[in-house]
Amino acid sequence: MGSAEERSDPGEKAVSPAFECRLVTVEFLHKFSRKRIIEDVSFLVRSGEFVTIVGPSGSGKTTLLRAMGGLTPPASGSVLVHGRELNGPPDDVVIVFQDYSNALLQWRTVAANVAFGIERTLDRKEIEQRVRDTLALVGLEKNAEDYPWQLSGGMQQRVQIARALALRPAVMLMDEPFAALDAMTKASMQDELLRVRDRTGTSFVFITHDIEEAVYLGDRIVVLKGSPGRIEQILDIALPAPRDQLSTRQLPKFLEYRYAVHQAIGREHG
Amino acid sequence: MDKGRLIARINWPGAAVLVFVGLAWEAAVRSGLLEYEYLPAPSAIALGLSELAGEGILAPDITHTLISVVIGWTAATVLGISLGFLLGLSATARRYSLASIEVLRPMPGVAFAPVGLLLFGFSLKTEMVVTILPVLWPVLVNTMAGVIGVHQRLYDVGRTFRLGRRDTILRIILPAAMPLIIVGARIGLGLALILAVVAEMVGNPEGLGYGIVREQQALRPDLMFAYIVTVGFIGIVLNAGMLALAEALFPSFRQLQGGR
Repeated sequence: MGSAEERSDPGEKAVSPAFECRLVTVEFLHKFSRKRIIEDVSFLVRSGEFVTIVGPSGSGKTTLLRAMGGLTPPASGSVLVHGRELNGPPDDVVIVFQDYSNALLQWRTVAANVAFGIERTLDRKEIEQRVRDTLALVGLEKNAEDYPWQLSGGMQQRVQIARALALRPAVMLMDEPFAALDAMTKASMQDELLRVRDRTGTSFVFITHDIEEAVYLGDRIVVLKGSPGRIEQILDIALPAPRDQLSTRQLPKFLEYRYAVHQAIGREHG
Repeated sequence: MDKGRLIARINWPGAAVLVFVGLAWEAAVRSGLLEYEYLPAPSAIALGLSELAGEGILAPDITHTLISVVIGWTAATVLGISLGFLLGLSATARRYSLASIEVLRPMPGVAFAPVGLLLFGFSLKTEMVVTILPVLWPVLVNTMAGVIGVHQRLYDVGRTFRLGRRDTILRIILPAAMPLIIVGARIGLGLALILAVVAEMVGNPEGLGYGIVREQQALRPDLMFAYIVTVGFIGIVLNAGMLALAEALFPSFRQLQGGR
């Protein structure tokens, strides 16, 4: 399991990865007993890398992401960002949640939502500039003055992604962000995300239960399984870049990866 | 707001019903269909209004009532929002105080009028005793519900963007709870007017409430009704002003309420 992660990347500065989980175990207290949700999860995320996490429901994917985002402290093990152990939500890591309508600030315009993470630290001109740039990046420059409820689901999720990107985070943690979107919107959002990664060098950790999505987006796939969730397998995905919705998905290698992930997850998953 | 939008916002069918009821009332009184000695026709009430205005006693009465409404409502709202936040944020505070609130809340504010009279005599303070407590409850309870109802995900958002306690309250909880806080403040404003008028009828002999009693005792039902109509009109204006204020402070209020 370990050999793939320990391989050093000569192109990257130093050896320190953007993100690292070391034997992370998370437990919840449930009526005076402890319930273990994930156990001994270790993997790392290099800078600019797109890591997807798949697993059947109940395997602790969201819990793992919350632990990585500093929202849930691990019972044992540690999460390191740029080599520093985290203790609460870290500086340049931000989570994008699945339920965009709950996660957006419904009383704020799109532009004001995007400004949310930077308005306390930057001055006004910088904020305006960055909001404009980020909205252009996700194709919402025309909707700056709209309110979230006036937008479609896909557009609302793009607002949430823009709000996270405006911070210029080193790592974006995304919890099944496209689960509620229709197939066409999902495909265009996937490509948008890869473009954003190429342009900004942000690392992504992306949870999904859609195996094809995991293969299409991922440089690496972490397969979680069981209860408590453990890492079943880590697959390096060597598909050519840039990825393309039609041709990439028809490559024999794509199908091989898809098959391998299905095998790793096992029959319990559809 | 420009004239076109104002016209578009008026509820014309509703206004037509109002005019029709007024005309029917007028016709019923004039034709003798409704025959009560002290029930004036709308036209008589209108004349009474102009008589009161002409004598220069209506304006000071309105001013007095408005002042007591504004003072009572402001005090109750500030107190209600503060306590509502405290109770909404602290489960411990709720555990200790909800029982007391449930005991105090159903007590009619007017019942405190004699207490106010004993303490403060015929004065604005007595009006405040009657007004503030009943207005406090809807503001407090709605603020508390609004704060408790803030979605867990918004707290997650606050944390992932590394907001401190102060910013979490100001940038997330307060605006998220705002629609319910405004509901509480609106209910409170309506109550404040009712209670100020009642207080003036039983406690402090000034303002519109006392005007109603005075004209009733003077056997001038037209003037009495003129005062009643004035109170109703002030209620409409206060509510409209409250809505305008809410929209100015909180532009997405109307949509978040789901209203028109």
